[in-house]
Amino acid sequence: MKRRSTRPRAAAGTLSVRIIVLIYVGVLVGAPIVFVFQQTFAPGWHALLSAIQDPQMDFALGLTAKVAAVAVPLNVIFGVGASLWIVRHPSRFTRVLDTLIDIPLAVSPIIIGLMLELTYASNGWFGSSLAKLGWQIIFSFWGLVLCSAFVSLPLVSRQVVPLLREVGTHQEQTAATLGAGPVRIFFTITMRSISWATAYGVTLTLARVIGEYGAVLIVSGNIAFVTQTLTLDIGENFDSQNSYQGFVGASVLMAVSLVVLIFLGIARNRERRRSGYHAA
Amino acid sequence: MGITLHDVTKYFGPDLVLDGINDEVPNGSMTALLGPSGSGKSTLLRIIAGLNTLDGGHVEINGVDVSNVPARKRRIGFCFQDYAPFRHLSVAGNVAYGLKVQGVARAQRRKEVDDLLSLVRLETFADRYPHQLSGGQRQRMALARALAVKPDVLLLDEPFAALDAQVRSELRSWVRSLQREVGITTILVTHDQSEAMEVADRLVIMNAGKIEQVGRPDDVYDAPATDFVRRFLGPVTTLDDVEYRPHELTLAPIDEAGLDAMIIDVVRLGFEVRVVLVRPDGTTPWVQLTHDEAQMRDPQIGESVRIQVRPPLRPSAVLLEA
Repeated sequence: MKRRSTRPRAAAGTLSVRIIVLIYVGVLVGAPIVFVFQQTFAPGWHALLSAIQDPQMDFALGLTAKVAAVAVPLNVIFGVGASLWIVRHPSRFTRVLDTLIDIPLAVSPIIIGLMLELTYASNGWFGSSLAKLGWQIIFSFWGLVLCSAFVSLPLVSRQVVPLLREVGTHQEQTAATLGAGPVRIFFTITMRSISWATAYGVTLTLARVIGEYGAVLIVSGNIAFVTQTLTLDIGENFDSQNSYQGFVGASVLMAVSLVVLIFLGIARNRERRRSGYHAA
Repeated sequence: MGITLHDVTKYFGPDLVLDGINDEVPNGSMTALLGPSGSGKSTLLRIIAGLNTLDGGHVEINGVDVSNVPARKRRIGFCFQDYAPFRHLSVAGNVAYGLKVQGVARAQRRKEVDDLLSLVRLETFADRYPHQLSGGQRQRMALARALAVKPDVLLLDEPFAALDAQVRSELRSWVRSLQREVGITTILVTHDQSEAMEVADRLVIMNAGKIEQVGRPDDVYDAPATDFVRRFLGPVTTLDDVEYRPHELTLAPIDEAGLDAMIIDVVRLGFEVRVVLVRPDGTTPWVQLTHDEAQMRDPQIGESVRIQVRPPLRPSAVLLEA
């Protein structure tokens, strides 16, 4: 797609709207980001280097990565599967499912944490049966995975469902008449059609999982070197007047998110230019 | 050989959409399933393709009962009205898809794709993506993609409906010549009778889940088996409770034999001239004259004339099968 070489000059009204938007985004997003990075880099490279090597933070970062490595793929599989079900086989049941999936977005993370704890703790409603089998969920790695998957449940399907509706089934049926079997159709047609929506959903899921604080705080027990994720580590550092370490942790988290978003943005633009495919 | 339909029956919920369809589509023919929307023609096409299941009867392709064979094993090519381009693949990638499925080696695949693209005159578009093509080009791509797997049967669902008038008439004659060149048994679905008569050598006229008439376009037009077919295939006008095609009638001077009428309107449409009349009983039949006839007669509004039925120019048509 060619860009227009000349653009009409913005009218005064448009210009003032743009200025307001820029100020709004600047105050809400820009200033805090700049502040965090400024605090991180101000004391110099030596301080930064030793803070980055803090074992407690490194453990927390590793744990966050492990939780994300399990929870994100789980939610991608669930999200794509649920989207296909909701769009391709609509029924009264899928309408209920569609609504249920949204609950994690509507409920406060603290409440989610409490719900999960009361259900899955070893003296809890469902957790006591699991405890008899020797499975501890709360205060363990799997509790973190459960909680992360829960809070990010709708993020993939919210991206995929509208696109899946728009794409329809004619491409898949055409592939079938050309001899392709269901598995091939799924990977060469269906997934290719929704790949960018899925990638965007993955990004949002990843951001939510690595950034989650409230629900994780309750479910994990916040035990250093055991269940303390990076966000919890950052929180603890700020609480214990160790704010420089907190800023470093925050910068690490933010850097990860920015890298993912930038990568996604570049890839999406490329794809759009190549195939005219509008990603989410 | 060709396609045989035995008592094909289909329900959507409680609604009977195909009521025992029987037909024999000859090998190499170009058959149009023609009917108004809701007549079941698209459903019938999808059943032949294996994209819909049937609730009764069976479908044979080249003598083999395929009723329980999935679409991917039926050796058919199917083109949707929206052409369903694979949007993430280039034109060449679209055409190559079926060959890839069949495991055709890369070099061979490239050669066949090139041949197909030149067959549909898209050689220079191989590396484009579907969103960069016009509607007509997309349709040609879809045809090439369907033909790539060398199907026994080509099925086209409303192939021209999404195109503008100019491109549509170009593509009609192009598809017709392509079909003759390739010689593939083809069924196309349309609601447009002029399209059906132009493209197909055989019409199957459907209404409300049933076949009304089957035959060559000429024969069906000249000897419609039912009032529905007569009305669906072309204009009709009523004279003393009998339906005629307006071109079967002509005008004569008031002193000749015929039915009394007065001209109330003359509409000139190039070659065709429509003369609207009013009869003493208040009915308003119309008569179709050619440009030359109108030139000679020079019908005037307010003029009293006689309506005559033209004598047939040839023996009455023989129906293939009613």
